[in-house]
This record gives sequence, C-alpha cells and structure tokens, in this order.
Amino acid sequence: MPRRESPLQSEMVQGTLDMLILKTLVLGPAHGQTIAHAIEKGSEEVLQVEHGSLYPALRRLENRGWLASFWGTSENNRRAKYYRLTPEGRKQLAAQTSRWEELVRAIGRILNPAEEGRS
Amino acid sequence: MSWLESWRRFRRRDEADAEQREELEFYLDVTTEELIARGMDPQAAREAARRKLGSPTLIREEIYRMNTWTFLEGLLRDARHALRMIRRNPGFSAAAILSLALGIGANTAIFSVVNAVLIRPLPYPDADALVGVFNSGELHGRRSNDMGFGPGLYAVWRESSEAFEEFGVWGQGAATLTGAGDPDQVHTVTVTQGVLPALGVQPLLGRWFSAEDDTPGTPQTVILSHAYWLRRFGGDGGVLGRQVMIDSVSRQVIGVMPRSFRFLDLEPDVLLPQRFATANLPFFEPFSLSGVARLKPGVTVEGANRDAARILQQQMPEDFRAYADEVQLRPNLRPLKQDVVGDISTVLGVLAGALGLVFLLVCANVANLVLVRAQARTQEFAIRAALGAGRRRIARELLVESLTLGLLGGACGVALAYGAVQSLKVQDLSAIPRLAEVAVDAETLAFALAGSVAASLLFGLIAALQCGLPGWVVGARGASLGLEQLRTQNVLVVAQVALALVLLVASGLLIRSFMALRSVEPGFTRAESVQAVSIAIPDTQVPEPERVAQMQADIVEGVGRLPGVEAVGLTDSLPMDPDNQNGMTIAVEGVFEPGEIPPFRRIKWVSPGLFAAQGTRLLAGRDFAWEDLTQRRRVAIVSESMAREYWGEPAAAVGKRVRPGPTGDSWMEVVGVAEDVYEAGADKPAPLLVYFRTGLDQPRQPGQPLSIRRSLILEIRSDRAGAGSFLREVRAAIHAVNPNLPLTEVRTLDAMYRRMMARTSFLLVLLGVAGSMALTLAVIGVYGVLAYAAGRRRREMSIRVALGARPEQVKGLFVRQGALLACVGCVAGLGAAVGLSRWVSSLLFGVTPLDPATYAAAALAVCGAALAASYLPARQASAVDPAESLRAD
Repeated sequence: MPRRESPLQSEMVQGTLDMLILKTLVLGPAHGQTIAHAIEKGSEEVLQVEHGSLYPALRRLENRGWLASFWGTSENNRRAKYYRLTPEGRKQLAAQTSRWEELVRAIGRILNPAEEGRS
Repeated sequence: MSWLESWRRFRRRDEADAEQREELEFYLDVTTEELIARGMDPQAAREAARRKLGSPTLIREEIYRMNTWTFLEGLLRDARHALRMIRRNPGFSAAAILSLALGIGANTAIFSVVNAVLIRPLPYPDADALVGVFNSGELHGRRSNDMGFGPGLYAVWRESSEAFEEFGVWGQGAATLTGAGDPDQVHTVTVTQGVLPALGVQPLLGRWFSAEDDTPGTPQTVILSHAYWLRRFGGDGGVLGRQVMIDSVSRQVIGVMPRSFRFLDLEPDVLLPQRFATANLPFFEPFSLSGVARLKPGVTVEGANRDAARILQQQMPEDFRAYADEVQLRPNLRPLKQDVVGDISTVLGVLAGALGLVFLLVCANVANLVLVRAQARTQEFAIRAALGAGRRRIARELLVESLTLGLLGGACGVALAYGAVQSLKVQDLSAIPRLAEVAVDAETLAFALAGSVAASLLFGLIAALQCGLPGWVVGARGASLGLEQLRTQNVLVVAQVALALVLLVASGLLIRSFMALRSVEPGFTRAESVQAVSIAIPDTQVPEPERVAQMQADIVEGVGRLPGVEAVGLTDSLPMDPDNQNGMTIAVEGVFEPGEIPPFRRIKWVSPGLFAAQGTRLLAGRDFAWEDLTQRRRVAIVSESMAREYWGEPAAAVGKRVRPGPTGDSWMEVVGVAEDVYEAGADKPAPLLVYFRTGLDQPRQPGQPLSIRRSLILEIRSDRAGAGSFLREVRAAIHAVNPNLPLTEVRTLDAMYRRMMARTSFLLVLLGVAGSMALTLAVIGVYGVLAYAAGRRRREMSIRVALGARPEQVKGLFVRQGALLACVGCVAGLGAAVGLSRWVSSLLFGVTPLDPATYAAAALAVCGAALAASYLPARQASAVDPAESLRAD
C-alpha cells in the first residue's frame, strides 16, 4: 500500500527528530521500527520518518549519552536493538521541549500579531 | 564526548558497523512482514521496505564516519599507500632508506656516546654536588692545575673546610695479591675514609672504610670490586672477614662494591684505605693525591673555591704560607665530571658537528630524490586533483610518504648505530672516558625517532611545498621544464657540495695532524718488535732483596739467550703510559740552593740493556752496567732535554751530580745522556727525565733492609715479538728462574704507541667516514639533478642536435652546469670551512687550521668528483637521436 507523500517529510528540522525520538522513548524502551511508527502515528502521518536519518540520529543520541541501547527480543521473537532514555536524555528532552515551545510561540507571534494583540 | 570514549569507539568501529547492519536487517524484515500482513506479495513487500529505508550502505557509512577520526583514518590509509609506493619503486626507496639509515645511524651512534660521556651525570647519587679538589700553582716555570694533596694539606683541609659534606683524597696504583690461588697483579685505588661516602655508592656487601681503617696500628682492610670478587672469589657471599695478602700485607675483606660501581673513570680490582701518620705531617711532600668532595647542599663550586682559598690563607702554618705564596698556590675545585670527562668534549663536539652536517646532507639528498619523484608523478597528482583530491590532501600524502621513508630509514639507522656502538666498545679506546657507560638506550632511541621525524619533515616539507606551488597542476601531460623546481634542486646540490667540502677539509686537517704525529720520533724505534711483560716478585715468596736482585738479573740473562732476541732490559714503566707518571724532586749539584725545593722531575728506573731493547739512543756517556748494580753505585742517566737545561749540551752532563730530594740522599753521578722520549705523547713536549738504575739501593734509614723495586716490566726486542710461540719461550725462561711468577700485562710497545694515538686516529677514522659519505652524497646529488635535467631537456637537446649542434656542444652544456654548481658550492664551502676551522684547531698538531694545501686539495677533490658526476648525464644527453626523441612526444 503506497503511503501518502507528506510535504513535511523533507522539511523536518534537524534537532526536531532528536526531540521526537526522546519524547517517544519516555513511554518506555523501543526499537527503531517502533520509534518510527510512534512518531508517524502520533503526528497522524503528517511527519514521515526517513530511516536514512533515523538510525544516524539514534547513534548520535547514544554517543551523546542521552540514549542507551541494548539487544532484546522483539514482539515476533527476533533479536532487535532497543533504545531507552537515560536520565541525561530526560533532562535534555525537558530542555528541548521548553525551547521548542518558546520557538513556536515566537514564530506564532510573528505570523499572527493580531491574534496576539487581541488576546 | 570524552577523548577516551571516542578512541574506544574508534577501535570498535567495525564491530559497531556489524551491529548496525543487523539492526537495519531487522528493520527490513519487520517492515516486510508488516507489508505482507497488509496483503502485499513478499517480493513487492521487500522492495517497498528497501525503498522506504533508502540505501543501507549510505546509512552505515554515515554512522561509521560518526565513529571514526577521519584524520587518523586518512593517515593510516596514506601510510598503507606509502608502503605500496615504497615497494613499487625499489630503486628509489633503497637509495632513500639507505642514505637515511647512514645519516641517522651515524648520528644516533655519536649521540649515544655524547649522551653517556658528556650529558649524563656521573653514576653517583646527586652527582652535581661532587667536585674534584685540586690546587693550581706555578712549579718551576710550568703552571700546573692539578696539584693534589699530601698528608699535611689533606689533614688541614679536612678539619677546616666549611663547604664540604664529605672530603677525601685518593691515588691509584698496582699491587700483587696472594693468599688465594695464584699470585695476581691487581689495580688498586687507595682512598681515605671520606672518599666513598662522598661518592655515595653503598657497598653490595659489608661496609665502607671507617676512620679506624685510616689509622695506623689497626688491622688492615680491603674492599673488593664486584668484578674482582666474581673473578677471584667466585662471588662467594662469605668472603667478608677473609684475609688476603696484598703486597705482603695481610688484609681483611670488609666489603664488596656493587656491579655498577666505577671509581671515576677507573675500574680498580681492590680499594685500599689510605693511612697517614697522624703526627708531624710534612707539608712539602709531592702533591700527588687527588681530592674529591661532596659539597654541602646549596654550596656552589665558586663558594667552595672561596672557602678553600680561606683555608690556604688562614689555616696553614707560617712556613707553608710562604711556600704557597712563592708558587702562587690557588685552590682549583671543579665539577668532578669535568675531571672524569677531561677534554674529550672538543673531540666529540667536532664529531657530532661533522655527523650533523652529514645528516643535513642526507636530508638534502633525499629531498632531491623525493622531489624528482614527485615531479615524475605530476601527472598522477593532476589526475587525482581533477577527480577531487584537495591540494592539502595530496600534500599530506607526500608528507606521510616522507614520514614512512624516514621511519624505515631510522629503524635501519638504529640497527647500524647498535652495531657501531658495539664495535666501538670492544676497541681499546682509552681515549674516550666513560666508554663503558655507552649504550643504545631509551634516550638514544628517542633521539633516533626524533631524528627520523625531523628528517622526514625536512625533506617532506620541501617536496610538499614544491608540489604545492601555485600552478603545479598546469601540465597534466607533457609538462614543461619546471624552473622553480630546478632552482630548488640546484640550491640543494650547492649546499651538498659546500657541506662535503667542509667535511673534507676537516678530515684533511686531521690526516695532516696524524702524519705530523707519526713523524715525531718518539725516542724508541720499531715499537712493534718490542715485547713487554710485567713481572712482580712478591716478598712473601722471596723475602730477601738480594735474591730478588739476582732473579731479576737472571731473568734478563735467560730471556736474552732466547733465539731471535736482540736486546732485553727492565724498566718500571713503559713510555707513553698515562697511568704511570712517577716523579720526584731532583736537585742538581751546583744549581740547587740549600733550603729551596728542587724541581719535580719525571723518574724512571731502568736496567742495563733497556735502552738497547727500547731503541733509545745514548747521546753521550754510557749505559748502566751490571757492575753498577752489583756494586750499588750511585749513578744516573739523564735525558737530552734535562742535560741541555742544566749543562747546555749532552756531553757536558757526564760526570755531573744529581740527587732526589732536597736533603738526605747522597749525590748520584750522571754517567750517560739518553735521547728524549715522548713520555706524555708525541703531541706534548718530552719531559725532563732522570733514569735511576734498578737493583739494590741503600736503605733510607740505617738498620732497615736494602730497598729494591720488585715490580718491573721486561722489554724484549725481537722480530718474533707478539707471536704465541715466542711468548711461551719467554714464559719458560722466566719460570726457569722462578716458577711462581705471574706474567701480566703482556703487550707490545706498539700497543702503547697506538693507544697514545687512539684519540687522533679515532677522530681521523670517523671524520674520514663522514667526509667520504659527504663526498658520495654530493656526487649522487650532482648526478641526480643533472640526470634529471637531461631527461627533462631531452626534447630541447633533440632540436639542438637536429639544428646542427655537435654532441660536444651538448655535452659541454651539461658539464658547464655541473661545473657551475660545483664552483658555487666550493666557494660557499671554503667560506664555511674557514669559519669553522678554529673549532678543530685544538685537535690539530703540526698544521695550522687554515692550511692552504688541505683546502686546495679538498676543493680539487670535490670539484673533480662533481665534474665526473656531471659527465655521465651529459653523455646521455648528447647521445640523443633527434628523430626518435621528437617522434616520442
């Protein structure tokens, strides 16, 4: 079944993906496939995760010590690499989230100054 | 991200990559299954999953790069590439590596010597605090800086010094040890109690000498060296407390020194305590004992000298002070290392300088080679640049190639240096102090590594900069003559010629010095046919002096009867023996005023026949006769210089009288005058010498037994000297007189002569090697650059020949260029040689540092070699066939 091509796919800002991965893992350890699914489902298929960036991103986060990985068994009894959030990663998620929200508000103020003024 | 962590990842990067591959495989499988579950057929599902993932290789590459240090990775790749290039160009590589190995090896070897001899502290704890303690004074018109101590002076200094933590005096000698197996001639060092604590080396077994050991009347003691303990006592741990007889004194072994212990530059077999009588110490004894002291913390050598001057001025008795004023006695304390090392630093400095020049030459040569090859690879670089390689990337690769070459050359060089050091150490090079400490150690290896890297950077940078010049990619094909590059090569060649000339001048000057030294008549002839054997008759075996005298006469007679023996005689020391420079104060009748101290003269004891055996001519009077010995006549022979000093000419000396010491002894009649013997070496003036006869003498004090020298050296003149069969006959002849005599120090007089020449010949050989290496390298350099130019200008030459140029003209073109290079190099080299010549001047003898003949010969040699080197490429160039050469392009 061919998926709908999302215009946002290629525009996903670097760093945003990192944040989304961290957010997904708050719920518990998961392997790459699950993380991609979760992001796609969670964004109602608006965001498409390109696996060409997912795996390097995972490795980058792991190198920074925000994620830890371990080999586990998947739902269908296969060896799979799982990722979980480290305390450091949790802190980073909080920091990035608040920075993101600030950014969104700032952009929002510029795009809709009227709304801002009205409220 | 910590450094260590990233290094760990770098080392695990292949493993991580395998894991990544597995993770991606898993993703593919899961996605495929999902798609199948949604109703796709397996083939299409797999395809779709792949499409979604993109290229797994790209992903893996990206992650791999994350895990790696690109720079290091590139370096490794470049090194592998470099090794491939080295293998593929065996000729070039062999030339480069061999020259590097020679350059680095020679310098590493000389460094290991310089490091051990000059740089490293003496092998004692806190060695910087150690000083050699001497005085300087003017004795009979000659300034001496090494006046030592006698008992009186020593006692006052030990009491009064405020600068010394420990202080003692010592002297060296020889003795006969008996009491455990065969009698043995041993080297001794006699020390006062403070010497060993000053040096600070604890004994391996037992203890140091104590104050009691220095006091007369207590049991006599001895400390053994480690080597002698092993040799004589088999390393017996129970040796302490054993008694041995040394020169007929029974001594108790109280200690064994550790293996590493060396007494300054000596390796004595045994250490003996120095005993002085405590009362009425004479101050006017010969100042024959050397002093050594450890300074108190914080005291400088200057401070210690000031303190010593205070002692000389304030603490000495009145009559001594008057004497001290007369001879201008001044303290002369200096770092002990200076005492041990002596003036070898000039020799080593010159050698290190010369080999440093060779190193530069090697670098220039290899730079030339690398340059030539880099130019041959211009096309390759151009293509690679076109394919996207950055200039920096290519420069780095050139540098890595150089580094690889340098390290390979360095490794071979270390092997060479190791061999050189080993062969140096087995030579009898008494000329070099501390030679036993020389080794290829960690510091030497570090030096070799640094040398290799420095060399690589030097020639690598030249090559990289050359190829990095703007416009170097201009011609991918049929590149034209690179003028810039040729200019660099020319400069390198000129430098090579100049350096080679400097080294040739230095070795030339040394050769002239060597020849001048050889031409000095040393006062003995045909030294290679004079056999010397030491014999000592211990008084434990033969207590009566009369019998000793008889045995000595019998031995001379018995050996004299052997076939092929021309002459035999006995003496107490061989000429040119630096360890044996006995002397006494000698008063000359008529010149000597009562109350003054007569001058110190070199003394030798000789038997009748010694001058004949040694080849020393008698200029006037007669030799000693055996009747002189049997009748105990008071007779002496003086040297020519001595005779001229006092009586104007040799013949006038006969019949005059001399005596040892200002008082006491009776006069001795001068019966003969012998030609001068260069006792201290051919480069030093012959000393004023007085010969006493061997045999019995009246005792110093009435009532004592007659005195006799028991330890003498037999000199035998024979064409069979040195042969094993001859030595066996000599031994048999001696043992026929006394079967228990040990024969020691068997050598020829020539060995002494060569030892005296050792420093000069050592320097000569090494400078000669450096000079010929330099000349070879310069020739290769000239040849290389011209051959290269000839190759590049082949086309031009073809055109010239096609237009009617004769081969001689073409040839001349190149020879002229070679001559020009050589001339410029020679001028530069002559200038440098003149500037550097005063450096070697102290090592020269009988030739000035600016000897024109040497300079001319060196310049001629270099120019001739350079012209010869340029002839070959010139002939190649002129032999070009225009048609063929033009068609080729």
